[in-house]
Amino acid sequence: MTVQLPKLRSPVLSGDAEIVGTVITARFRGTADIEAKPELDQYVKALHDEALRVTATKVQIDLRELEFMNSSSFKVFVTWLAQVQELPAEQQYRIHFLSNPNMHWQRRSLAALSCFAVDLVTIET
Amino acid sequence: METRPFFHLVFRPNIKLVSTVRRFTGEFYRRVLVDQELASRLALATHELLENAVAYANDAETAIRIEIEGDLLSVKTWNRAAQDRVNDIRSSIDEVMAAPDPDAYYQSQMTAASKRKEGSGLGLARIRHEAEMNLSYEIENDKVCVRAVAKIVGGLNP
Repeated sequence: MTVQLPKLRSPVLSGDAEIVGTVITARFRGTADIEAKPELDQYVKALHDEALRVTATKVQIDLRELEFMNSSSFKVFVTWLAQVQELPAEQQYRIHFLSNPNMHWQRRSLAALSCFAVDLVTIET
Repeated sequence: METRPFFHLVFRPNIKLVSTVRRFTGEFYRRVLVDQELASRLALATHELLENAVAYANDAETAIRIEIEGDLLSVKTWNRAAQDRVNDIRSSIDEVMAAPDPDAYYQSQMTAASKRKEGSGLGLARIRHEAEMNLSYEIENDKVCVRAVAKIVGGLNP
C-alpha cells in the first residue's frame, strides 16, 4: 500500500509521508510558523483522512528536523488530536511523536500535547 | 537595582520577519545564557510576543527590547494598535496571569482552541506555561508594551 498524500511544500516548511504496514510516518522539516500554517493545516487534515482510509493503527510525526513551531501551527496538531479523540474507539489510531532533544522547545510543547490526549499520544526522544 | 539593556530592535511590522528576529534573539540567548533550555524558552516567548505585536500593529514600527534586571530577564515589545485590540490585550493578559495553575489553564485553552475557527488563542498561555514567564502590560492610549519576564537560572556566560 502506498500513501496518497501530496508533499507539503511551503517556503519555510516541507513534509512528506510514507506507510509501512499500518503505520504512517510523516516527516516535517523547517519552521512551522504563521507563514506555513495554511499549508500545514491542509496537510494534517489530509494526513488524518489518509490514516482513516488505510485504517492506520499508528501515525508517527517526525519533528526531528523541525526548528520551531508557533502557537498557530501548534493549534493544528491540537485540533487534529481532538478530532481523533472524537472518533469511535475502533477508528482511533495512536499518534507517536519523534522529537529532537537538541530542540528544547519540543519537550515542553510535546508534553502539553501528550497531556491533552494522554490515551493517544506517545513521545520518543 | 542596575538595569542593563542588552538590545533594542525596531523594525517595520512584517510577519515574515518574526522568524528572522526569533533566530537572531535565539542565538543571542544561547550565547549569553548558561542554561540552553532557558534560552529556548525565551526564543519561543519572543516569537509569540512578536507575532502578536506585528499582527495587530497599526503603524510603521514594532520594537523589541531585551533587558536584564538583577536575576530577571525581560522581553518587551511595543506597537500601536486599534482600541478594540488594546482592550483584547489587556483582558487576555489579565486572564492568563489570574489563572492559578498555568498548566491547567493552558490545557483549557487547548481545548477551546480545538473548537475555534479563527486564531489559536494559545500564544500568551504558551508563554506563561511553556516558557514559564510572567506577563504584564503598559498601555498609554494606543501604544501597547507587553512584557514577559523570566528568572535567570544558571547565570550568564562570561
